[in-house]
Amino acid sequence: MTKRITIDPITRIEGHLRIDVEADGGSVQKAWASCTMWRGIETILKGRDAREGWVFAQRFCGVCTTVHAMASVRAVEDALQLEIPANAQYIRNLILIAHALHDHIVHFYHLSALDWVDITTIPVANSAHAAAIADGVSSWPGNSHHELEAVQSKVKGLISSGQLGIFSHGYWGHPAMRLSPEMNLILFAHYLQALEFQRKACQVVGILGGKTPHIQNLAVGGVMNAINLNSLATMNMDRLGMLQSLLEDLVPFVQQAYFVDVCLLAASYPDWFRYGRGVTNYLAVPDLPVDAKATKFDLPGGVVTNGNLASVCSINDWHDQPIRGAVAEDLTHAWYVGGVQPPWKGKTDPDYTDFHEDGKYSWVKAPRYDGAPMQVGPLSNVLVGYASGHQLTRKWTDLAFQRISAAQGGQLRIGDMQSTMGRYLARAIRSAMLSDLAHKHWQLLSDNIVKGDDTTYNPPQFPQHEVMGVGMHEAPRGTLSHWVVVDKGTFSNYQAVVPTTWNASPRDQKGVPGPYESSLLGNPVADPEKPLEVLRTVHSFDPCMACACHTLDASGREIARVKVL
Amino acid sequence: MNMKRRNSLPTVCVVGLGNVLMGDDGFGPLAVDKLRCEYECGTNIEILDLGTPGLDLAPYLYGKDLAVIVDAVTAEGKPGTVRTYRESNFHNSRVPLRLTGHDPGLPEALAQIRLVGRGPSEVVVVGVIPESCVFGGGISSTVLAASSHAVNNIIQVLRERGFDCRKRRDPEPPNLWWLADGTSTDARPARTVPAAHV
Repeated sequence: MTKRITIDPITRIEGHLRIDVEADGGSVQKAWASCTMWRGIETILKGRDAREGWVFAQRFCGVCTTVHAMASVRAVEDALQLEIPANAQYIRNLILIAHALHDHIVHFYHLSALDWVDITTIPVANSAHAAAIADGVSSWPGNSHHELEAVQSKVKGLISSGQLGIFSHGYWGHPAMRLSPEMNLILFAHYLQALEFQRKACQVVGILGGKTPHIQNLAVGGVMNAINLNSLATMNMDRLGMLQSLLEDLVPFVQQAYFVDVCLLAASYPDWFRYGRGVTNYLAVPDLPVDAKATKFDLPGGVVTNGNLASVCSINDWHDQPIRGAVAEDLTHAWYVGGVQPPWKGKTDPDYTDFHEDGKYSWVKAPRYDGAPMQVGPLSNVLVGYASGHQLTRKWTDLAFQRISAAQGGQLRIGDMQSTMGRYLARAIRSAMLSDLAHKHWQLLSDNIVKGDDTTYNPPQFPQHEVMGVGMHEAPRGTLSHWVVVDKGTFSNYQAVVPTTWNASPRDQKGVPGPYESSLLGNPVADPEKPLEVLRTVHSFDPCMACACHTLDASGREIARVKVL
Repeated sequence: MNMKRRNSLPTVCVVGLGNVLMGDDGFGPLAVDKLRCEYECGTNIEILDLGTPGLDLAPYLYGKDLAVIVDAVTAEGKPGTVRTYRESNFHNSRVPLRLTGHDPGLPEALAQIRLVGRGPSEVVVVGVIPESCVFGGGISSTVLAASSHAVNNIIQVLRERGFDCRKRRDPEPPNLWWLADGTSTDARPARTVPAAHV
């Protein structure tokens, strides 16, 4: 019998993501993704000074602040054909890397690990055995028997108190939870350690950006960091040294704990390489430019269609013409007036109709690339990089495959990455790559400064006619693009096509579903009342619905519920 | 609960939460900026506008002894009412299912850092009941007026615990850049880049 399952967060004033699935015979047959909050963010930017857009853009979202600021300045610079100095590229890159590492660490440990890790089994773990397992796969110093024993006793205390607190919502004891108590202990120990390391990533952003989470150092034309090796108040050897020492702490956690943990998880849940494939067109834009003119990049961009890696078509730089013409937003099933619009002509006029599964049902627009849905995110990064022979991508992907094979026996192929587990693994691979690149871009910045280059800013000149630009950034959740029309220095149009609109997009005019929706087809659901498996696939995309109103609820009401019909 | 180092002052963060683009939800950032402009506080007191960080609140509360959270709250009462809550007043042990990183994460962030022994031993929430939280709506006059009341409450909380805050002789008006006229350049944030304190 078909069961309708609705997972709907009821966040007090705002709502975010709602997932509806129809399940039959233990698996999902149909799915709908709906954003339940209106995003009118673009409308407030019209008429504003183009030099200030980024200040507002970084308030679009409370979690992804930096990325919107960056896409906004890049969009205006593109419209003006304004180059920025090399120092500005490196400083921006370091901020973006640190932000992404923070975001990926939090996603894995704090937002999704407990879909796979059953903490209630930790009290029965053999902590000496757990330490031996962890020691066998990693030199991470936080794996000592002493450390794991301490974590185990914390969890025992928590469970015996009967107050699981923040862990009370877990689907503990669910049949889909399959890690050994020892593995659960190792991963939860790193969950706790991650709190310290995500903080270090924030500190890197803070040192360079002046403030975190809302950075202050950007400008259309570069960055406002003053560089003077002889001044205490500017970017000097002390600051560079602080950054280096933070990176020296942060990088080992990413490469020896996070990356290794995700490989262990993947080896323990090999069946999850079979679910969650979804849309198999992948889009990534190049990022982390290594020169002032942004002609060479450390993260490659490209398009892969129909899951065929041989089809990869490179996007070499931000001036790429095909992407500028290919992106359009389809409003057929979104609560807006209009049909299909290219972003520069995009409008955001609401047309709310309630949830009609065959009509309009989401506040998310449906971006399409040459008319086709695209999946964006770390998986697209990794597939595009792997397909185009990008060395760093190959190094970490191959290493992950070797680790998983060593733990599990089977042989993983790159095609297996097109799955729920593949998205988790791709995020860890990308994090390991970004950690290598953090050191590289720190070095590029310090070498350039030591060489005597202290320029960070080229002042913008606004023409007396209309210009258009697009700012691209390969953000933690995938391709982000801000499309601007600037007339005499003020915005006459502004559209942000964000990663989650690509991934959470509703159906389009041809009825083709978006990545969340199609990834859920065939997804197992053992118990409709506890749709843990649905959450695993949805969480694999790291959903981030544009941030809304945020008020604390003094009454402690529930913010999400599962309804089964 | 904290592993306090000897001879170091207790540390405090005063955190404004809320989205400045969502009308009265911008109350937290507004009130903490007003506090910063009107009072000079000791170096052990960090005053932070954190926007809507969800779970990303954790790194900013990490290692603090006292956290004062300033935010709009959903509660019974007239809009503009300012209330001070202790943790036991608002904290509910039942934390629900989380789908995205955006759901307000105060209880979770606190619980996480307390598990590693680095959470604040005391949390106070200074909340206002909003009139309207709509996108681009601007702040209501009721809630704008309530910010003075909130600043007084924050100062009272700090002084009762022996923290040093002096009223500035020449207070500046708070920088409400998000309410500034569209084409004005007043919206530009301070261009100085201070040392990071996270």
